[in-house]
Amino acid sequence: MKRHLGLAVFVIVALVQLAVAGGAIVKSELALRTGEAFRFRIQPVDPVDAFRGRYVAIRFAVDRAFVAEGAEVRPRKHIFVPVIKGADGFASLGKAVVEQPPAGAYLRLRAGVVTPDEDGNQQVWLTMPFRRFYMDEDKAPEAERAVWGGRRGRREASVSVRIRHGVGVIEELYIDDVPIHRWLAENAEER
Amino acid sequence: MVHTMGRLSVRWLLSELPKLETEGVVDAATAKRLRDHYGDQTSGSGRRLVVAIFAVFGGLLIGGGIILLLAHNWDAFGRGTRAAIALAPLAAAQLLVGWVLLTKWHSTAWREGSATLLALVVAASVALVDQTYHTGGDLESFLWRWCLLLAPLPWLLNSTAVGMLFLASLTWWAGAARVEGSQVLIMWPLAAAVVPHLVHLLRSDKRGLRAANLQWVVALFLCVAAGVGLDHRVPGLWMVIYVGLFALMITLGAAGRRDEDGLWRRPFEAVGVLGSIIVWLILSFEEVWSNVGWNHIRSSEAFQELVPWVDIVVAVVLPLGAIAAMAFLLDRRRHRLPFLWGLSVPVMAVVWPIAASADAVWPGVVAFNLLLFVVGLATLAEGVRRQNLAVVNLGMLVVALLVVVRFFDSEFGFIFKGVAFILVGIGFLAANVVLSRSLGTAGEEAE
Repeated sequence: MKRHLGLAVFVIVALVQLAVAGGAIVKSELALRTGEAFRFRIQPVDPVDAFRGRYVAIRFAVDRAFVAEGAEVRPRKHIFVPVIKGADGFASLGKAVVEQPPAGAYLRLRAGVVTPDEDGNQQVWLTMPFRRFYMDEDKAPEAERAVWGGRRGRREASVSVRIRHGVGVIEELYIDDVPIHRWLAENAEER
Repeated sequence: MVHTMGRLSVRWLLSELPKLETEGVVDAATAKRLRDHYGDQTSGSGRRLVVAIFAVFGGLLIGGGIILLLAHNWDAFGRGTRAAIALAPLAAAQLLVGWVLLTKWHSTAWREGSATLLALVVAASVALVDQTYHTGGDLESFLWRWCLLLAPLPWLLNSTAVGMLFLASLTWWAGAARVEGSQVLIMWPLAAAVVPHLVHLLRSDKRGLRAANLQWVVALFLCVAAGVGLDHRVPGLWMVIYVGLFALMITLGAAGRRDEDGLWRRPFEAVGVLGSIIVWLILSFEEVWSNVGWNHIRSSEAFQELVPWVDIVVAVVLPLGAIAAMAFLLDRRRHRLPFLWGLSVPVMAVVWPIAASADAVWPGVVAFNLLLFVVGLATLAEGVRRQNLAVVNLGMLVVALLVVVRFFDSEFGFIFKGVAFILVGIGFLAANVVLSRSLGTAGEEAE
């Protein structure tokens, strides 16, 4: 009797384990298939994760947003930050709010420290949820060299991100507007 | 029967049998009956143990291999394939564990091996999903999700190996989270997930190897967690916490064991004694006692309101718990050593408030130098009284460490230090030679 109870609980635990892995897949697939596409400027470097292998760590060129008037943004609390497509085709961030925006693309993020800028406007520091671009263990260091090793100084790197209902998922890493895998293949002899 | 007597005692008895037989103490039939009774059980349990250990290592290697293979990041596979690869091994490992639960529940090897495999495959699946979609954030966030998914398994699968894995990953998470400046207080309730399994083990097979292994990991976890898992906003409160923690470990360990248990089966005492020596030595330096107490509280926004209170509660509960455990659980005649080592708690209770309120350095320094000296000598004396060379050496080690630390600390010349070291060394050797001789003659007389 007791063992059947144990088995029943194990089945529940097993389903939760599957749901955590599967839920992340579904959430990401939905964002990738139906989300709106944005392009963010980045600065990559190349570290290793003990469990998940090599990746290109991504530092976003935009890492803070202004706080909307009257919004009570506090560190560690969830906030909503609108994402706006700029004239140059790259994304920028709107003013952070605490209520879910009724329309437009936005990211649901955890607020960092809130500091005033020179003009006294409140700014909130952000940690983007997509901070890593995982790559084949041979290619990740090459990608990093590709960004930093350009003849004319640094090449421009960016990521395309699909955003749906506050969830952002990285789609592709670009170097000089070329997807990273194609760029690495085309520039094989140069390196 | 074998468990309560201990495998070592049985082995000793079996090795004595031929001699007893030739000397006519037991007849051949009795010897055979004894051999049949104990021989089968020990060899059988020994084999079972080896099989279980191999099963756990098998699970570890296969699971670890899967993680490494996935960490290569296979660009060639599409997203759909990778999602399938993430879920399939997880489902397979779960089915294996379910089958073991139904049909092989009583086999430690099957249970521990399959549970270990599942624990690692969970990590591999979560990792692969993270890789495929470039989500999941830092190592900290990965370890956190892994700990949550592991938490029910030690109890549910009665698996010590997963319990050890769980505590190890939880400690790793806490360390990583502290580096990031996050709050880690939540690790305490989560760590309590191993308690049901620990209780189950202590009830069913207290002297067994699994209980000993798990207690080692719990003891080491507590040492690290007391440092990482608390806020330490009141400077110097760590002294009170660690002194109380180690005294409590020694007391509980000593109360719960038999005299003949080997070192591996006394993890709480071993960690408590070693930790005490290290902490007392640190406390014998002047530097640690300056700027101690509530007058030097660091205030910054990063600290959260609740946390210092937890620190203070822990700093009160641990020493009181140690005193209570000494009062109720220990036997004054049998447990002289634990009482002796528990002296640090009342000493701390007197010295810390003085250091904090008067900003005085010297009471703490003097008290802990004296404590090391007195406890070292008294341990040595108790060892001589009990004719136990290991206890004698422990006492001498404490005194010697105190001498070494003080001489590096002080401004005596090299010649003086050198001579002092040589004298202490000679004292060590001489005491051991004399004692082992007297133990030898005592042994011969006893025969």
